[in-house]
Amino acid sequence: MNTNNIKICILLASVFMLGCDKVLDLQPTDRLTANTIFGDPKGVEIYMANLYSQLPIEDFTYMKQGFNYNQSGPNNGGQCSSMFTDEATHSESGAGVGDGDFQWWADGYKLMRDVNILVDVIPTLQISDQERKSLIGESAFIKAFAYFGLAKRYGGVPLIKNSQVYSGDAESLKVPRSTEQETWDYVLSLCDTAIENLGDATGRRATKWAAYALKSRAALHAASLAKFGNLAPQSGIAVTEKLVGLDASLANNYYKAAISASEAIMKSGKFQLFKPTPANPQEAAENYRLLFQDPNANGATVEAIFIKGHAIVGNFQGHNYDIWFQPAQTANGWPHPGRMNPTLDLADSYESYTNPGKSTPIVTTMDNNTNDYNGYNPSQNYIKYNTPNEIFKDKDARLWATSILPGTIWKDKTIIIQAGYVKPDGLAVIRTSANMTISGTTYYTYGASSTSLYSGFDGFGGNNTKTGFGFKKFMNQLSPIVPGWNQSTTDFIEFRYAEILLNFAEAVVESGTGDPIAAAKAINDIRRRAAHKIDIPLTVENVQRERKVELAFEHKRFWDLIRRREFHTLFNSSSMHSLMPLRDLRALPATKFIFVRVNAPNINPRTFITRSYYRAIPGIGSNGLVQNPEY
Amino acid sequence: MPLKNFIMNKLLLGLFIISFAFFSCEKDNYDGPTAGLSGTFIDALTNKPIEQDIINGTTIELIEKGYNPVTPQYLIVKTNGTYENSQLFANTYTVRPVRGNFIDIAAQEVVINGETKLDFVVTPYIRVKEANISKVGTKVIATFKLEQNVLNPIRKISLYAHSDSRLGDGMRLAVSEKTINVVAVPNTVYTIEMDLPSNSSTLKPGLDYYFRVGALINVPEAKPNYAPAVKLVI
Repeated sequence: MNTNNIKICILLASVFMLGCDKVLDLQPTDRLTANTIFGDPKGVEIYMANLYSQLPIEDFTYMKQGFNYNQSGPNNGGQCSSMFTDEATHSESGAGVGDGDFQWWADGYKLMRDVNILVDVIPTLQISDQERKSLIGESAFIKAFAYFGLAKRYGGVPLIKNSQVYSGDAESLKVPRSTEQETWDYVLSLCDTAIENLGDATGRRATKWAAYALKSRAALHAASLAKFGNLAPQSGIAVTEKLVGLDASLANNYYKAAISASEAIMKSGKFQLFKPTPANPQEAAENYRLLFQDPNANGATVEAIFIKGHAIVGNFQGHNYDIWFQPAQTANGWPHPGRMNPTLDLADSYESYTNPGKSTPIVTTMDNNTNDYNGYNPSQNYIKYNTPNEIFKDKDARLWATSILPGTIWKDKTIIIQAGYVKPDGLAVIRTSANMTISGTTYYTYGASSTSLYSGFDGFGGNNTKTGFGFKKFMNQLSPIVPGWNQSTTDFIEFRYAEILLNFAEAVVESGTGDPIAAAKAINDIRRRAAHKIDIPLTVENVQRERKVELAFEHKRFWDLIRRREFHTLFNSSSMHSLMPLRDLRALPATKFIFVRVNAPNINPRTFITRSYYRAIPGIGSNGLVQNPEY
Repeated sequence: MPLKNFIMNKLLLGLFIISFAFFSCEKDNYDGPTAGLSGTFIDALTNKPIEQDIINGTTIELIEKGYNPVTPQYLIVKTNGTYENSQLFANTYTVRPVRGNFIDIAAQEVVINGETKLDFVVTPYIRVKEANISKVGTKVIATFKLEQNVLNPIRKISLYAHSDSRLGDGMRLAVSEKTINVVAVPNTVYTIEMDLPSNSSTLKPGLDYYFRVGALINVPEAKPNYAPAVKLVI
């Protein structure tokens, strides 16, 4: 080898080394590194905001079509989970739960990947130990929340505990489903990690208390599946491989976990019921309404453990409860109000103050028969009331705060809900637009002369309630609605103290373990806040009634029916019911109203099929997972 | 460009597009399903068809060979116990009735080719015998006997009503039910009544309705057993 060649070699080598040094080590300019994002508090905020926005929180944007349904033109008729339970029916359609409804699969695993990327870099970040601990806790909370969202829909799911690396072989990325037990245990262990690492403060981001609340809810769900799973047995490969189903022997340990997580919150002294001792039912109703209209105002944050906020209006920001569910009279130009129709079945469930400890069906006739849904009968002896809402006088304050009752004031207007009238000759005209003039006064079947002046029973546009009840909980009374998409910014309380008390009471009474005196106090404290003054004993029935009425329309009832396996017996060719107020013109010149209990008109009976206890897993052809039973 | 040429060009272009379209059709098309499966659920003792539900009733699970993973197909069964799917692809299938109203039977491998017949000879959980449904005054009264073929208790007995002859547990306008939760006593006459005035919003006087009695065994996922439907003017 001559010197020239050696020179060339040296030259080449130096070029290569130079290249190594200066070219290949350059940081890419089109992406940010973990340390750039997480080393800067603002970067952390942005990344965490993205994770929180993906959390499966069942708020006002959670619809039949899924989460965050507030894109441009979310025109789904406002169909939300309450309308698939006995809480409400939609004013136009009455449907059972379909295979494609309430899914959360691909979005769930997208969130899981985003949070795993964070989990992987936490040890390498140049941040203080305290900040590191918070991030560990927060990421565990987000994963627990997300796996809970998956487990309650699909049973056992693939557990992606760390982020996956693609090395050219897609098969190696496929993870089989874990058993349902392993999945729930993973959720609870993530809750424990979150509890250990998160701080004591309260606030909008995950806290120790939000993690306890999540554990309380998830453990109760798992315990119920173990206890009540045999009410709706299933078969198939997913069952034999234990991908769905929990053994009954597991129930008590899960109940104990729910009890201790709830107790941690109850004994922390950090939370209490909002305005726990009202002087009378009217005050109780207003307090309860205020809690949901704005959980940040009037000191309501004492009850809120975890809030999802809607800060600004617009697509992907605001929600649509106020437009979809507004009474027709206050729709303010919006063409499609009145979709949420609370049922008579829900109204029946509330206690009356004179009959504590019992669901008190609304009595309309002198013979006290509340099982006759066959419509107006001229020979029936109906009780005559002086106002369209006197019939509810003695009912729980929460009925008044959850539903807009006929003839009550909403946004400075008397909301008129009337299904017809009984003519002086005793014949009734019901759900037909008509009027008659007697002694110079004209009476209208729907209580007023035109569609903008009443809110009930006329089929016009699907804008009027079919059940006799309007929707009030969560609705903003303060300002006129803006007739457009995504214009509402009500914040949603995801975890509140009352739910924790109810979780605790249920776990105690179902398991027969824990402190029954504290559990009885828990449900009676919630009742006291609703102006009940006579305590009731701790029974399964009392706990479930209290849960149903206290948490109505918070998207809890759907999952209560799932986890307690009550859905398929409640909905088996079952009609929901309405209460029709009729103006009784036989009483003229006195103003009298009678009420008729009927099947919700023009709404198909609903059936819940048992396979719907688990959702179908999408994409079996490519992900190779074992499908749930009967799909 | 002269008009004639313009039209000719357009026609040629049109022909070209059409021939291309036909070409692609041919390339993409597979044969449609050419085979079918049909048959009856037959009581092994009486040789009679076993009455079923059309909604949420017994299903037949078909798993087609040669695909992995494979999504099972489920056939539903008519109320008279017969079933048919005339739109299957010819192939070998694993066939098994599931979630039925009879004692479980094993899966079988079936070559489905052309119009394939397959009857299932099974033992119903319950035989609803000597059923009599008649209108007495303002009531419809059903009497029947129950003969059960497993040791499990009977969960409930029901009298269903509907304007459609295919009524049952999943398809009814009205129902009267009694919870039993014990084993049926042989030769006991069971009675269920349906009061017509208290169902007057769904069962209108003067019209025809079908009535059917059913009994449900307490076996996981079991479906009710029935006597045939009866038409009455009420």
